[in-house]
Amino acid sequence: MATESVKYVSPETKSKTLLDIFRRPDQHATGIVDWLTTIDHKKIGLLYGLVALCSLIFGGIQALLIRSQLWGPNMEILSQREYNQMFTMHGTIMVFLVIMPLSAAFFNFIMPLQIGARDVAFPRMNALSLWCFVAGAIILNMSWFFTGGAPAIGWFAYSPLTDTGFEEVTRDMGPDFWVFGIQVLGLASLLASFNFIATIINMRAPGMTLMRMPVFCWMTLVVSFLIILAFPAITIALVELMFDRNYGTNFYDFLEGGKPHLWQHLFWIFGHPEVYILILPAMGIVSEVIPTFSRKPLFGYGLVIFSGAIIGFMGFAVWSHHMFTTGMGIVATSAFSMLTMLIAIPTGVKIFNWIGTMWGGKIRFDTPMLFALGFITMFMVGGFTGIMHSSVPVDMQQQDTYFVVAHFHYVLIGGALFGLFCGFYFWLPKMTGKMLNEKMGKVVFTLMFIGFNTTFFPMHYLGMIGQPRRTHSYNAGHGFEQWNQIATIGAFILGTGILIGVIQFMRSFRDKSLKPAGKNPWDARSLEWTLSSPVKEYNFARTPIIKARDQAWENNYGPRDLHSEKEPLDHHGVHMPDHSWYPLFTAIGFLVLVIGMLFHSSVGAEGEIIRNYTVAIIGGIIAITGMIMWSLEGPGGYHLFPEEDDE
Amino acid sequence: MIRILRLLQNIPAFLGLMVLPWLLGSCSNINHKQSTLDPKGIVAQNQYDIFMLSIWITIFLFCAVGGCLLFVLWKYRVKGEDDAKEIPPQTHGNPKIETSLILFSSLILVILAIPTLQGIVLFNRVPDPNDTEMLKKLKLERSAVEDAITVNVTGKRFFWVFEYPEYGIVTANELVFPASKAVRLNLRTTDVIHSFWLPKLAGKMDLMPGQENFIWFVADQEKLLFQTDKEGHKTPATIAEAMPAVHDGSLREAVFKDRSFFDEFDPVGGLFYGQCAEFCGNSHAYMQFRAMAQTDADFDEWVHRFQSLQAKEKPEQYNSEKAYKAGDTVLLKDSSLGEKAHREWQAAVDVDKGQAPEVGNEAWKKKNQDDYEMGRNHFQTSLCTQCHAVNSTGLGAIGPNLTLFGLRTSLAAGWMQNDRKNLTEWLRDSDKIKFGNLMWNHEVVKNYQPTEEEKDKGVVQHPVRELKNDPKKIEQLVTYLLGQN
Repeated sequence: MATESVKYVSPETKSKTLLDIFRRPDQHATGIVDWLTTIDHKKIGLLYGLVALCSLIFGGIQALLIRSQLWGPNMEILSQREYNQMFTMHGTIMVFLVIMPLSAAFFNFIMPLQIGARDVAFPRMNALSLWCFVAGAIILNMSWFFTGGAPAIGWFAYSPLTDTGFEEVTRDMGPDFWVFGIQVLGLASLLASFNFIATIINMRAPGMTLMRMPVFCWMTLVVSFLIILAFPAITIALVELMFDRNYGTNFYDFLEGGKPHLWQHLFWIFGHPEVYILILPAMGIVSEVIPTFSRKPLFGYGLVIFSGAIIGFMGFAVWSHHMFTTGMGIVATSAFSMLTMLIAIPTGVKIFNWIGTMWGGKIRFDTPMLFALGFITMFMVGGFTGIMHSSVPVDMQQQDTYFVVAHFHYVLIGGALFGLFCGFYFWLPKMTGKMLNEKMGKVVFTLMFIGFNTTFFPMHYLGMIGQPRRTHSYNAGHGFEQWNQIATIGAFILGTGILIGVIQFMRSFRDKSLKPAGKNPWDARSLEWTLSSPVKEYNFARTPIIKARDQAWENNYGPRDLHSEKEPLDHHGVHMPDHSWYPLFTAIGFLVLVIGMLFHSSVGAEGEIIRNYTVAIIGGIIAITGMIMWSLEGPGGYHLFPEEDDE
Repeated sequence: MIRILRLLQNIPAFLGLMVLPWLLGSCSNINHKQSTLDPKGIVAQNQYDIFMLSIWITIFLFCAVGGCLLFVLWKYRVKGEDDAKEIPPQTHGNPKIETSLILFSSLILVILAIPTLQGIVLFNRVPDPNDTEMLKKLKLERSAVEDAITVNVTGKRFFWVFEYPEYGIVTANELVFPASKAVRLNLRTTDVIHSFWLPKLAGKMDLMPGQENFIWFVADQEKLLFQTDKEGHKTPATIAEAMPAVHDGSLREAVFKDRSFFDEFDPVGGLFYGQCAEFCGNSHAYMQFRAMAQTDADFDEWVHRFQSLQAKEKPEQYNSEKAYKAGDTVLLKDSSLGEKAHREWQAAVDVDKGQAPEVGNEAWKKKNQDDYEMGRNHFQTSLCTQCHAVNSTGLGAIGPNLTLFGLRTSLAAGWMQNDRKNLTEWLRDSDKIKFGNLMWNHEVVKNYQPTEEEKDKGVVQHPVRELKNDPKKIEQLVTYLLGQN
C-alpha cells in the first residue's frame, strides 16, 4: 500500500471544532455524506456535471414539447401560456443550468490538473458555489408549482412585460422565482469565477508560465473575468426589477417615467458577454482536442489565446446589436453594427488556426475529434449567419424570426454543446479510468449531427419566409408547415442522440466491462495526461516542475531537457483538507432566505399588503452562521504520503 | 435477415426519391405571405440586396474554409496503423499566414460594411425630395417622397391602431395606403413592447413604451402588378386586378372569391401581411395585421368614406318641433326592437313639424333592417361602445376601431377570415380563439351592473361573456357589424 495517512490536528483548530454542529467528516466519510460535504475539486466537478446533464434532459423535453406544438398550424398540445412558459424555461435552463455548469464542471475537474495544482485556491468556496448553483436551480424550478406557474416572460424578460401591471395571471409569481433564481445562480458563478482566477494566477506549478498554460486554462481565465464583469450588470437589473415588482419603485415603469430601454441595455451588457461565457470554454476544449488528434501542437498558440481574450474584451462592446430594432438612432446603430462585424475577425482567426493545426498532422477520427470537427463546421455556420445580422438592414428583417433561432442554436448547440460533448468523450476516461465505447460514441455523434442539422437548418428558411419567434401557433397558408415538420423530426433525432450520450456518460462510471484507460489513452499533450486515470484524490504526489507547453507530449517524445521534473521530497506529505458541512449549510441559508423573500407578502382581508420577513431573516441568519462557522472551523485535514510515482 | 438488410440499403434511395422533390417543390416558391425573399418596396429591396450580398460572401467563405478543412482532413488522415505512430513535424505557427488571413477577412467585412451603413441611413430617413441623385438611384418619383403620408401606429395587446393624422381618421388592423407614395410610420405603444414587421415592404421596428420610433416604406408599383393562381404562378395584371379598391369591397370580394383564408397565395399583388415580432404576452402569435396598396384615386375615396363617417354628426333624437329635409336621419325610440331601443329613420321627402316617423307614414322609411337595428342597440347596451368606436375616430379607445368593419378581410387582428361564421364564433367565446384578449378579460368596464351570481362570487365579468348564452343577440350584433360597409 502506497499511502498512509496521519491525522493532522493543529492546536487552534482543535478548540474551534467544539463549535461544530455536525461532526466534521474526514477522509473516512463515505456515500452521501462524502458527496454532500466534499471539497475536492474533482468531485465538485462531477456533481456540476450530474446536475447539468439532468437539466439538459429536462430542458430537452421542453424543447421537444415546443417542437411538437409547432408541428402543424393551430396545434393544441400546449396552450399559449404553457408554450410561453416552455420557451422561457427552456432558454433559462439551457443557458444557466446546462451550458454554464457543464463548463464549470470541466473548469473544476480539469483546470487544476492542467496547471499542476493540488486543488482550486478556495476549496470550500468551490463547494459553496456548487450548492448555490443547486439552490438556484431549485428556486427556478419551484416556480412550476406556485401561482401562475413558471414565468412566461422569455429568458430575456423584457420590461414592461415583467411589470405587475401587465401580468396575465393575478399575482403571478413566475417572474419572482426567475429573478431570485438568476440572482442565486449569479452568486454561484461569481464565487466560482473568483476562485478560478485566484487558482490560475497563484497556484500554477513551478515553470508553468502563463504562456505555457493550456488554451483550456486560458479560456477558463478569460471566461471567469467575463463572468465577474458581466454579472454585476444583470444583478443590478434584477435588483431593480425586484424593487419594481415588490416595492413600487419605477426603474422600468414607463407610466411613472421609468425606461424599458434601461432593462434591455443592462440585460444585454450582461447577455452578450454571456454568449462568450457559453462558447469560449467549448473553444478551449476544442483547442485541446484538435492538437491531440492531429499529433501536432496548436498552430499559432499565442494568437489563439489573444483572440480569445480580444473576443472577451470586445464582447462588452457589442451588446446593442441585440437591440437594432429598438430605435437607437443612426449613430449608435452604425457603431454597434461595425463593432459586431469586427468581432468576427478574432473568431475567424480561431478557425484558421484549428485548420492550421491539422495541416501536416496525422489526423485520427476518434469520437472526440468528430465532435471537435462538428464544432468547427457548425460554429462556422452560426458565425456566418451572425455576420449576416451584424448588418443592420438585414437584421431589420431577421430580428425575432426563426433565422435568429437557427443562428444561435448553431452557436450554442453546434458550438457549445458539441464542444462540451467533445470534452466528455475526451476527458471521461481521465475521470472514470475507463474508455468509452467508441462505436456508441460514433452513433451518438451521427444522431446528434444529423438531428441537429435537420432541426435547425430549415429554420433559416422559415425565418426568411416570415415565421416570427416565440409564437405558439401559426396559420395555414404561410408555407411554414413542411419545414416545421422536418425541424420537429430532427429535434427528436437530436434528442435521441443526446439521451444516448448522457446515458453513456453516466453508465461509464459503473460499467465494469469497459476497457481501462491507462494514463494517456489518446497520446494527448497536456499535464493531466501524466496522471493515472482516474486521478488520485491528491492529484500530484509531488508538484511537477514544468519545462514545456505540451508537457505530457514532451515527456514522451521531446528532448531530455524538456522532460518535467518533480519538486524534492520534503517529508511533509500531501496535505488534504477535511470535508466541511458549511458550504452546504450556507447555501441552504440562501435558499431559505430566497424562499422567505418570495413569500414575504400576502394580501390581507382589506386588500392591504402584509409583509412578513421572519423566514427571510432566519435564512439570512443561517447563511451568516454558516459563514462564521466555516471561518472558525479552520482547514483541518490530514497528510498523505504517496510514493513518488503513484499519481 | 439478408433480405431485411437489402431492404434497409434501399432506404437512402427511397428517401432521396420521395423527399427531395417534396423539399424542392416547396422551395421553388419564395413569395409566401410574409416572405422577406420577395421584397415589394424600396426599403425591403435594400434589405434584401444586402442580405443576398452577405449570403454570397458567406457562401464564398464557407466554401473556401470548408474546402480547406475537407482537403486537410483527407490529405492528412491517418492511413493504417504504422502511419498513426509516426510523428509529424511539430510546427508552431506562421505569423505571415496568420496576419494575411486577418487582413483578408477584414477586407471582406468592408465589402459588407459600406452598403450596411448606407442601408442604415436609408431606413431611418425618408430621402430628401431635393436630393435628385438619391431619388434617381432609388428610382423614386419626387412626388412619392414629397407627398408622403403619415400613419401613427399604436400597438396594443393584441391588435394595431392605424391613425392618419393628416386626414383625421382612424382604423385598426388593416393599413390602407397609396401605392405611389411613401408612408411614414410613427410607432407607439400604450402597454408592452411590440414590433411592427411588414416583411415585403419595410422590415421591422419595435414599438417602445414612452418613446416614438420611426420607419418608412414605399411600394414599388411595378412589382405589384401581377396576379397569383392557387399554385403560386404569377401572371401580369392590370392595376384594377392587382390593387382592387378597398372602399367598395372589391378587394374583399377578390380575395375571398375562389380562395380560402388559408390558401398560400392571394390573387392580388397589393395585399401584404405583417405581424408583431416582439413577444408581448399570451396572444402574441395572434397579433397580426394587413396592409393594402391602393391607387391614388381609390385611396382618396377610401379616406373620403372614412372622413364622412367619422366626422359626421350622429343622428339626433326625433324632435317633433322641427322640420326635416329629405335624406335626414333621426333616432326614435322603438319598443318593437327592445326596451330602450332606438331605430334610425330616414326622411324620404321633406317633412313638416310633428310628422313623427312610424310604420305607415310614407314620408319616413326605416333606414335599416330590424336585425341591424337590434344589433346596434345591443352594441350600445352591452357597453361595447366604451372600448370600440364605430363611425368616430375614438382615439384613445381601448379596443379596435370598427368603422367600416364590414370592409375588412380579417378578424381578431389578422387571424381569421372576417365572415359571419367566424364573427359569431368570436363573439361567442373570444377567449378560446385569442386567449388573454382584453375584451374577454378586461374587468374595468364602467357602469356595468354585475349579475347576482357575479356579486356572490366577487368576480366581475366582462359583459361580452354573457353573449355566450344568447345566440340571437350575437346574430344581430354580427349583422350590425358586418353591415358597416
